[in-house]
Amino acid sequence: MTSLANADPAHRRYVIRTMAFMAGYVAVNTAAILGAFDEMIGQRAGVFLGLAIAAPIAGQMWATLSLMNESDEFLRAITAKRFIVASGLSMALFSGWGFMESYGDAPHAPGWIIYPLFWGLFGLVTPFIRTSR
Amino acid sequence: MKNRMKDLRSARGWTQDQLGRAIGVSRQAVNALETEKHDPSLDLAYRISAVFEEPVEAIFTNPHT
Repeated sequence: MTSLANADPAHRRYVIRTMAFMAGYVAVNTAAILGAFDEMIGQRAGVFLGLAIAAPIAGQMWATLSLMNESDEFLRAITAKRFIVASGLSMALFSGWGFMESYGDAPHAPGWIIYPLFWGLFGLVTPFIRTSR
Repeated sequence: MKNRMKDLRSARGWTQDQLGRAIGVSRQAVNALETEKHDPSLDLAYRISAVFEEPVEAIFTNPHT
């Protein structure tokens, strides 16, 4: 496996940006799990908490697009393909689950699950998508 | 797309990484080209042609003829 020191500059920047954005994402989630924001439940401040968790996710998307922009044509194409497949599967699964909730008595899945679901699926499809065609 | 890239590279004693640096792409991209997992853009095909000093048609088989 390529270490950060041996990685090309584009991948090094991507890893650093990812770690920075994910540190914020994990910090807000950890604080929420530990009950740090329980007093905000039902309050207007909860809206800002939603924005606080949305910002690192948007930042991560920017980091991924920047990596694609700075990569060669093969890596750009293969990353786009993996991204599209993972997005499509995430939307299909989450939309399907929403209907199962509404009509099939399935347990409620909170909306924030879509993000870890997307990256989980991205990791899952990556070994199978190895051509740009 | 079928091509002679691996033969041409081996004949010159270059690694995939060295060829990648010469044509401005990653080692993974060179590997994908050699194993027909990526069809190069016209720009990249011309860069490969320039590095090997061979016409594009002598490196890549035209799939439409």
